[in-house]
Amino acid sequence: MASPAEPVGTRHLPLRWGLSAYARRLVTLALAGLIIAIVTRRAEFAGLTAPALLMLATWRPDRAAQLTVRVSLDTPTVVEGTEVLVTVELSGQDELDARLTVDPGDHILAGTAVVMPAGHSRRVARVALEPTRWGRRSLGVLVITYTDRYRLAEGRAVLELPEIQCRPLPAGLRSSIVLSRLPSRLGEHPARSTGDGGEFAGVREFVPGDRQRRINWPATTRHGTVHLTTFAAERTQNVVVIADETTDVGDPGSTSLDFVLRGAAGAITRYLAARDRVGLVIFAGRLSWIGPGQGQRHHQRLLDLMMATPGGWERAVGLTRLPRAALPPGSLIIVFSPLLDPRLIEALRDVRERGFSVIVVDVLNSEPGHEGSRVSSLAGRLWRLEQEAIRFSLTQIGVPGVHWDGVSSLDEPLAPYTRRVLVAHR
Amino acid sequence: MKRDGTAQAPARLAPLRRRGLRLAAAATLGAAVIWWAAYPVSGGGGGTRLMLVIAIAAGAMSLAQLAVTATVTRHPDGLTAADRIAAHATGLVMMLPWAELMTVAVLVLEALHSSRPWHTAVLAVALTGYLLAVHLAETDAGASTLRALLPLLSAGLGLTALSVGSAALPDLPAGPVVTLIRIGAVALAAVAAGLAVPVWLGRGQ
Repeated sequence: MASPAEPVGTRHLPLRWGLSAYARRLVTLALAGLIIAIVTRRAEFAGLTAPALLMLATWRPDRAAQLTVRVSLDTPTVVEGTEVLVTVELSGQDELDARLTVDPGDHILAGTAVVMPAGHSRRVARVALEPTRWGRRSLGVLVITYTDRYRLAEGRAVLELPEIQCRPLPAGLRSSIVLSRLPSRLGEHPARSTGDGGEFAGVREFVPGDRQRRINWPATTRHGTVHLTTFAAERTQNVVVIADETTDVGDPGSTSLDFVLRGAAGAITRYLAARDRVGLVIFAGRLSWIGPGQGQRHHQRLLDLMMATPGGWERAVGLTRLPRAALPPGSLIIVFSPLLDPRLIEALRDVRERGFSVIVVDVLNSEPGHEGSRVSSLAGRLWRLEQEAIRFSLTQIGVPGVHWDGVSSLDEPLAPYTRRVLVAHR
Repeated sequence: MKRDGTAQAPARLAPLRRRGLRLAAAATLGAAVIWWAAYPVSGGGGGTRLMLVIAIAAGAMSLAQLAVTATVTRHPDGLTAADRIAAHATGLVMMLPWAELMTVAVLVLEALHSSRPWHTAVLAVALTGYLLAVHLAETDAGASTLRALLPLLSAGLGLTALSVGSAALPDLPAGPVVTLIRIGAVALAAVAAGLAVPVWLGRGQ
C-alpha cells in the first residue's frame, strides 16, 4: 500500500487579512477604557488603555495578498481507523508564523493545529487525519492562518483537501474453511488424491513408471516386493465471497453493511494470503462481480469493486440467479448478509441447488425498535420468528449459518467449519 | 520544527496538559480580574450586582469557548439526539465574543466604584495579563511569542503608572513632593517613549 506521495498540486491562494481575535480584544479594551475615561472624567481609565493602545500601534497596513501552497497525500487509499498524512508545503511569507487547522469532513478525525514558525523560506508540515468509516470521503478543508509578529493581523486562506478512498477494516480471520473436493489446480491445501505434495498419504506397491526415489525401504523389506511412499496432492480452491449490500440497518459505524464489508474484506484477505483463488459478488441494487483470481493486484481489484458499488434498495431484475461465470463449479461460497432481503434467500437456494457449498455469516445485530405496546411487541416477536424460520429453512437445504457480532474475530463463529474439511455435498 | 523547516506531525495527547495549564491560568486571571473590579460589591453604584452577574457569565462562557476551541475537532455523525444537542451547545458557546463582553463588564464594574487610581492601575495589569493568557490558550502558541511585545507592555504599564500619578496629583498639597512626582512622570514618559518608538519604527522588519 505504501506508495510515493501523491501530488495534489500547487495552488496560489488569496490571503484575506483582518484583525486577529487578540487585536479585537485589545481594541475593545482601548475603546471601552477611553469612553469610560471621557464619560466619568477619570484619567486612570485612559492610563488603563495605554498597554493596549501601544500594542495596537504596531499595526502594519501593507501585507502580501497571495500565498503559494502545495498539498500532497502519502497514500490515496487507507483502511478505516488508520492515519493519512497530508503534506502541506508553504512558499514565501517566511517572516510570518503560519498555523494549519483542518475543518474535517464527515467521519474524519482531525488532530490539533500545526504551527509553522517564521524563519524558513520553504516550510513543510504533515497533518494527520484519520477516516473513521469506509467510503470515498472528503478530508475536509485546510485553513492556513498567517499571523504577524505582534499577533494583531491574521491572513486566512482556505483550501479544499482532496478526497480519499477509505477501505473497510478487514475482520480478523486466521483459519480457513477447506472443501473436501478441490479442483485440480496447484495450490497449498492437501487433497484426498495422491500427488506431489509434502503430506504423507500412504504406501503402495511399485508399478513401472514410478519414481525410484520414493521407494519405501522398510515396507519393501517387510513385504519382499518394492513399495513406494505416496503423498497427498496439493490443490487450491475457488472461494467466492458474496457481500449483501441490499440492506443497511443498525447504529452508524456498526451497521449491517459495515459488518458485511469488514467481514468480506477479512475473508478476501485471508483466502488470498492462503494462495486460494478468490472472487467477489456484490449483491446490491445491481449485481457486480469479479471471478476468482489470485495475487496482490486481484486483491486490489476486489477491494475496489467493494468500494465502487453503491448500496441500494431499488428493485432490480435478475438478482435471484447469480451468473455462472462468477461462480466456477466446485467453489466454496461465503455469504455475508443480514438475511433481510428475500431475493438473496432465493439466490442462495439457487446456488445450493446447483451443488455449491455455501456458508452464511449472519451479520444482523439489531432489531426493529418498538414503543413497548402489546401490538408492537407482538409484531417484534413475529419478526423474530420469521427470521428464525428463514435461517432454519436455509439449514434444511444444506446452507449452514453462523452469527457474527462484528466485533470479535471471524475465527470464533467459523470454528466448527475450519477445524476439519467441509464435505462438499451435491 | 526541524532545521529544514519540516514541522512534526501533531501528537494527539501531548499538548493536553499544556492546554489545561493555560486554561487554568486564564480562568484564574479572569476570576481575579472580576473579583478585583467588583470588590467591594456594596461600595459600587446602582447596577453593580447586575454587571457582576454579566461579567461572571461572560467569563465562564469565554472559558467554555477556549475549551471548545482546544478540543480535538471531530464531526459528529449528526444522527443521534446527543450529537444534535452537542452541535447546538457548541454553536451557542461560539456565537458571541465572550472575552470582549467580559472586558467591558469589568471596566463598567470598576467605573461604578468611586475613583481609586492605584486600584484601576492594578486592574489594568491584571486585565492585560488575562487577555494575553486567553490569546495563548486560544492559539496554542508558545509564551516566547510574547517576547516581541515586552517593550510595548513595559511602556504601556509605565504610562498607566503615569496616569495614576496624574490622577493623584490634584489631591496632593503643593510642595517638593509634587515637583518630584512631576519630574518622575516626565522621566517615565521618556522611558516609555524610548521603549515604544523603536518597536514602532521596526514593525515592518
